[in-house]
Amino acid sequence: MSVGRFLVRRLLLVLPLLLGVLFFTFMLVRLSGQDPTAKIAGPTATAAEIELVRAQLGLDQPLFTQFLIYLGRVVQADLGRSWVSQQPVLQDVLERVPVTLELLLWGVGIGALVGIPVGLRAAFRPDGAFDQISRFVSLLGFSTPTYWLGLVMLLVFFYLLDLAPPGMGRLSLMLSPPPRITGSYLIDGVIAGDLEAAHSAFAQLVLPVLCIAIISAAPIIKQTRAITLEVLASDYIRYARAQGLEPAMIRRMALRNAATPVVTFLGTELTGLVGTTALIEYVFAWGGLGQWGLNAIITGDFAAVQGYVLALALFSVIVFLLVDLAVLLLEPRAGTRA
Amino acid sequence: MSTQAGTGAITATAPLRGTPGLGARILRRIRGIARRSPTLAVGAAILLAFAAMALFHPWLMPRDPIAANPTLTLQPPSVEFWFGTDQNGMDVFSRVIYGAIYGFGIAIPAVMVGLSVGVPVGLYTGYRGGMIDEVVMRVFDSFRVFPSIILALAVVSAAGPSLLNVVMVIGLLDSPIFARVVRAEVLALRNGTYVEAAVAAGNPTRRILFVHLLPNAIQGAMAQTAVRAAWAVRISATLAFLGIGIQPPTPEWGAMIRQGAEFMVSGEWWVAVFPGIALILMTLGLNMLGDGLQDLLDPRRKAATR
Repeated sequence: MSVGRFLVRRLLLVLPLLLGVLFFTFMLVRLSGQDPTAKIAGPTATAAEIELVRAQLGLDQPLFTQFLIYLGRVVQADLGRSWVSQQPVLQDVLERVPVTLELLLWGVGIGALVGIPVGLRAAFRPDGAFDQISRFVSLLGFSTPTYWLGLVMLLVFFYLLDLAPPGMGRLSLMLSPPPRITGSYLIDGVIAGDLEAAHSAFAQLVLPVLCIAIISAAPIIKQTRAITLEVLASDYIRYARAQGLEPAMIRRMALRNAATPVVTFLGTELTGLVGTTALIEYVFAWGGLGQWGLNAIITGDFAAVQGYVLALALFSVIVFLLVDLAVLLLEPRAGTRA
Repeated sequence: MSTQAGTGAITATAPLRGTPGLGARILRRIRGIARRSPTLAVGAAILLAFAAMALFHPWLMPRDPIAANPTLTLQPPSVEFWFGTDQNGMDVFSRVIYGAIYGFGIAIPAVMVGLSVGVPVGLYTGYRGGMIDEVVMRVFDSFRVFPSIILALAVVSAAGPSLLNVVMVIGLLDSPIFARVVRAEVLALRNGTYVEAAVAAGNPTRRILFVHLLPNAIQGAMAQTAVRAAWAVRISATLAFLGIGIQPPTPEWGAMIRQGAEFMVSGEWWVAVFPGIALILMTLGLNMLGDGLQDLLDPRRKAATR
C-alpha cells in the first residue's frame, strides 16, 4: 500500500473524530450553565442589549441549530473572539503555537535522549543496580508535580545560585525581541544575528526545558525498559541466542524491533505532555499556548477554551499521523496490515 | 526468576508447622509479600504513615492549621514552627499534616466513582461485543487526543469548581481505564464453560455479569486502583494550585503551593516546599503500591516485567 493511500485513509478516519471533538468542546461550554452573554455585553448592559448579544451569538436558537452554526463557523476558520483579549481566537492560537512548541520539543527531545538509553540499559540487565536505581528515579519523576519542580528550580538556580534569569517570560525585559521568522526567539535571534537576544532567549529556556525533560524522562524510561524486555523475551531473540550470536548482535536486533513501539509511545507521550508544558508555562510566565489556555479556563473565556481544546486535539491528531508515518517507514509490514 | 516467585514460598511452609494463630499467619503473609515485592512494602509503609497523619491529626498538629497570626508571618523553620509559618502566620507543619485528609478524601471517592462507572461498562461491552462495544471503545479512544490534565481542568471549571465536582470528574475520567481492563478480561472469559453453563441454566444477563464474570474479571482493575489514586491526588492538587476548586487558606497541599509560589523567588521557600514534599511522598507511596500490586496480581506482567 502506498504512503499516499495510507494517508488518505487515515485522514478519512480523522474526520469523525474531529466532529466528535467539536461536539464535545461545544457541549463543554454549553452545559456549564454559565452564560457568556452577560460577560460579553459588559456590566452596564440593559436587558435588551443582553438579548441582542444573545441573538448575535445565536444563543436563542435550539441547541442543535447552535451546534450547526458553530460547526459552520469553525469550517470557515472562525473560532470566535476572546472576551478577554478581544482578539480573534484563531489569531491568538496561531501566534502562540510556536512559542509552546519550542518549549515542548526541546523538553521532550532531551527527555527522550536521556530516557531511551537509560531504559535500554536497564532492560539489558534487569534487576541489576542500574535497573533498580533507574526504576526508582522514574517512579519519583512520575510522582513529582510539574509546577512544584518548576518553582524549586527557580528557588535553586535563580534565587540561591543566581545562575538563571527570573522566570518571567521568554526574553530579558531589557531586550526587544528579534524580527519574527519562526516564532522562536532563540532561532530568530541567531538568524537575525542578534546574539544578545539569542543568548537571553537561551538562558530563559534552560530551566523550563529542564523541568519538562525531567518529567518526560520518567515514563520514557519505564516504557522503553518494558518494551525492550518484551522484545528480549521473544522467540526470535531466544532463537538468536541459541544460535550463539554475540550479545552485541542480539542487542542490535532487539533495538531494531523495539524502535516501533518506542516511537509510538513517544507520540502518545508528546500529546500528554502538552498539559505538563502548560503548567510549566504558567509557572515561568512563558506566554505560550499553554499559559493562554490555562488562563482561558480559569477566567471562563469560553471561545478561547473551545479554541484551545480544539487546538490540542488537532495537535494530537497530527502527532498520531506523523507517528503512523514513522512506523510505516520503520516497519514496512505495518503498511500491509493497515 | 519468575517461576520461583510463582510457586510462593509463603504457603509452602505453612502446613509443616501445624496451625499457627491468625495473627502470626497474617504477619507471615505480610512478610512474604514484602519479600516478593519490596516496592509494594515501601509504598504501603508510606501510605500507612499518611493514613496515620489523616486519622490522628488532632493529636499530631501542634497548632490550629487555619489560625492566622499577623505578628508571626513568614517565620522560617524553627524549634517552635518546624516547617515555618506562611504569609498569614499559619503553622505550615500543622497544615501539611491536615492536608493528608484532602489527599485521601479526594483519591478514595474518586477511584470508587471510576470503578463503579468503569467496571459495569467494561463488563457489559466485553460480554455483549458488537456495535455498542465498538462505539463505546471509539468514544473512549477519542478522549486520548486531550491531555488528561487539561481535560480535567476544562471539565471541572465548566461543571463548577466544587469539591464534589472535582471528585466526580476525576472519577469519570478514570472510568475508561477501568472499563478497558475489565473488558479485556471479559473477552477472554466469556467463552468459558462456566459462562455457557450459567447461560444454559437461564440466568439473566445481569446475574451472569455481576455474579459469574465480575469476580474473575475484577483483578486487573483492582491492580490499577493505587496508580489511579496517585493520579487523583496529583490532579486535585494541580487544580487547587491553579486556583480551581479548593481555595487558600484551606490546608490542601496544592493550594498551599499556590500560596507559597510567589515566595520561592524571594527566599521564603518553606511555604511551598514542604507541602510539595508531602504531595510527592503520598503520590510516590501510591505509585509504588500500584507497581507492586500489578506485579503481584498479574504474574504475566512480572514475567514480561512491564
